[in-house]
Amino acid sequence: MGSIFKGIEKLGAAGLVLEAILISLLGIFLLVGFIVLRRWYRARYFHKRNLRTVALRSQWNDILSGKMPAEDWRFDPLDCDIVESILLDSIEMSSADELVPLLDCLRVSGLLDMRIYEARTLRGLKQRTALLALGRTRAMEAIPALAAGLDSHLRETRIAAVRGLGRTARMEAAIPILDRIVTGQFDAPERSLKNALVNCCRSHPDVLVSYIEHTHGPVRELLARVLGELASAELGEELLVLASDVLPEVRASAARALGNTDASYTLPALHSLATDPEWFVRLRAVVALGQIENIGKISILLRSLCDANRHVRQRAAWALAQMEPQLDQILEDVVATKDDYALQAFVSELERSGAIEKLGTGFAGSGRRFTEIALTEIVAEARKRVELTGKAAAASVGAR
Amino acid sequence: MHFLAISNDTLFIYYLLSNVIYLGLLIVAIVRNVRHRHRLGSQRLELVKASPFTPPITLIVPAHNEEGSIVGSVGALLGLEYPRLEVIVVNDGSDDATMERLRQAYQLHTARILYIADIATAPLHAIYRSRLDPRLFVLDKEAAGCKADAINAGINAATSPYICVVDADSILEKESLIRIMAGVFADPGRVMAVGGIVRVLNGSRVVNNQIEEVRLPKSPIEVMQVIEYLRAFLVGREAWAGFNMLPIISGAFGVFQRDLVLQVGGFRTHAVGEDLDLVIRMHRRLREENRPYQIDFIPDPTCWTEVPTDFKSLARQRARWHKGLIDALWPNRDMLFRTRYGRVGWLVLPYMWIFEFLAPLIEVVGYSTIILALISGVLSKSFFLQFLLFGYAFATLISIGSVLLEEMTFRRYSDSREVARLLIYCLFEHFPYRQLTMIWRLQGIWQYLRGDLKWRSLKRVGISTDPVA
Repeated sequence: MGSIFKGIEKLGAAGLVLEAILISLLGIFLLVGFIVLRRWYRARYFHKRNLRTVALRSQWNDILSGKMPAEDWRFDPLDCDIVESILLDSIEMSSADELVPLLDCLRVSGLLDMRIYEARTLRGLKQRTALLALGRTRAMEAIPALAAGLDSHLRETRIAAVRGLGRTARMEAAIPILDRIVTGQFDAPERSLKNALVNCCRSHPDVLVSYIEHTHGPVRELLARVLGELASAELGEELLVLASDVLPEVRASAARALGNTDASYTLPALHSLATDPEWFVRLRAVVALGQIENIGKISILLRSLCDANRHVRQRAAWALAQMEPQLDQILEDVVATKDDYALQAFVSELERSGAIEKLGTGFAGSGRRFTEIALTEIVAEARKRVELTGKAAAASVGAR
Repeated sequence: MHFLAISNDTLFIYYLLSNVIYLGLLIVAIVRNVRHRHRLGSQRLELVKASPFTPPITLIVPAHNEEGSIVGSVGALLGLEYPRLEVIVVNDGSDDATMERLRQAYQLHTARILYIADIATAPLHAIYRSRLDPRLFVLDKEAAGCKADAINAGINAATSPYICVVDADSILEKESLIRIMAGVFADPGRVMAVGGIVRVLNGSRVVNNQIEEVRLPKSPIEVMQVIEYLRAFLVGREAWAGFNMLPIISGAFGVFQRDLVLQVGGFRTHAVGEDLDLVIRMHRRLREENRPYQIDFIPDPTCWTEVPTDFKSLARQRARWHKGLIDALWPNRDMLFRTRYGRVGWLVLPYMWIFEFLAPLIEVVGYSTIILALISGVLSKSFFLQFLLFGYAFATLISIGSVLLEEMTFRRYSDSREVARLLIYCLFEHFPYRQLTMIWRLQGIWQYLRGDLKWRSLKRVGISTDPVA
């Protein structure tokens, strides 16, 4: 078998390689040329854009009030882009009163209609850009076009529509999203959906409750997570129904929401949730207990401090460490549990909050059973035992 | 003669294939980068920061004899824009004043925080917490002679579902953490780890541990590394991640799901390239469990790091990297061409064996036989020269392509003269710089075969930090 080189040489390989060299060199020149041209074009474009921005800014009040006819800037692509950018940035930062003239300008100039048209008719990147711009307008009439984007067969477009609806921060914008996700067939990242729903339902979390009632499985969990972020005391006894839901994620969200209420039923409900079979439900309940002002929570938290789950223990310790007037009694109760992990977690949290020094000083001067030295000894002993157990745990997971 | 012909053929095919693969990677990377840029246009970081669903993250900073930079580095990390942040500095048995500097600057006090050694490490002396910023913890531990052990201690102490390992002498941009986490938010159930880009810090102006002005370094050896880093990250990692085959997340900057890291036993102590080793083991575990997953790379979150400025240090670094490569590939050789490891076993690992690990050996043998063939007349002189020129031009084309990619996307080097310098240096990357790195990598193979795995320190100039006026 002859060498490849010889074979190619017979076929006039020298010529072929020469061609390859030339093509590579041409490629190099093209790339370098492209880089140089691109740099030149961008510098020129930004210079021009800067000049036009200054000119338009100087006429801004006239543009907003309509004294300067929209035709003067709408049909120049650069001017139109600059004005739209300024308007959308202003809308994002504006209060309800400031919003009115900005939206009027968008409407009167036809910019809003143009974006609605683009969102409905264009495809790909341009459609997604239009959807996001529409969301930023926060205009009611943008919602149907954004909702139509949810039905795109392209995932990226659906995500853009979800984000756009979220940015409107209007309760009405949540409805098209909710209508689609309750079917269980809507494919979009959970995080985008949750963020959009949180933005839209902030002032009306009750909208979510009616949807949760009619959903199951992961969709129900998703809605419950959102509700957990938004729920307030106004939801009332709806929360109690959710607290006894069959889905742990829903119960966890109810627990989270209960932390925002101080109704009479809150403590008994959280007491029940703090003993839930699922650790993350217990965790949520303990976090919620930390948020409410009720001395009755101490006994529940003490029990959670001895929980089998490390995270639950830590959060219970954190919640207890915040109760400064009762700390000395709580410490005695924690020692009485004879649970080294509980004691270690509680002392860790006292250290984090800086309360341990005050507590030590208080004990030293009080003549009570505990002195600072005794406290240190108890903690050191507990720590030693905890570390030994930790090493055994490490060995059991096969760590080297 | 027959041997020479076969050897020449092999080198020809090898060289052509490696360049064609890289050209393919470049094209994939350009497409992915441009798409990513479009997505960034609609990404609102302030919304991510404000979102209640943004998970907490723990930054782990292993530090060994970093007295000169540690205080500034930690300050910069605490200043990162992320809503729920915990910073754990692991003082890995420093014998300089690293611990003292931290103690004074951040008013550390002993904290009896619960620490469970899920991964066994060298013993801890104490855990400290800052009175100035309660997000900062410092673990003071005995040196184990390896960075992995320090990281593992940090993982044990971490309380967040995600960990991010950062080198103490590197600088993260303020938004880098939120940007890299955006990769996780895209699909938290699937994304197990995300890497960010590491760029060359040398030459840039740093104020209060933040990059104030990006500049190219002055010396050629450093500029060559800029091009290498651009190609490795913007082309190589971006393209491999596009096929979910990313084999490495840089130890200088990467985010991992803590639970998964614990499941694979943490970073392998005494691994030479602990970052590469961890990612390959993560692929192994996830594929063995048949879990849907993504190990991703995102090109905009940036970590700036100092690169060697002299040949001796560069040689040591490259030899170490090559030892790290062998050290990670060899224990995982059973993954090669096994169905259960899918594309990782069939594509990326064979690529790393053939075009990364064996590259210096093949090139040395190839160069030798070509010269022999030339002397013995098996190969015509003109054809030899043409072939060399073709190889050089093709490889240079790809180097320029990576500069183009930088230009089309992130444009960190805004000065046209600096871009012109980068382009000029591209012409020298494949001769003589490539041949030098080949020799250093051969040294790495030789050291590995001799069992010489010890860490050799690199000379560092240090970050020149201008204080705020």
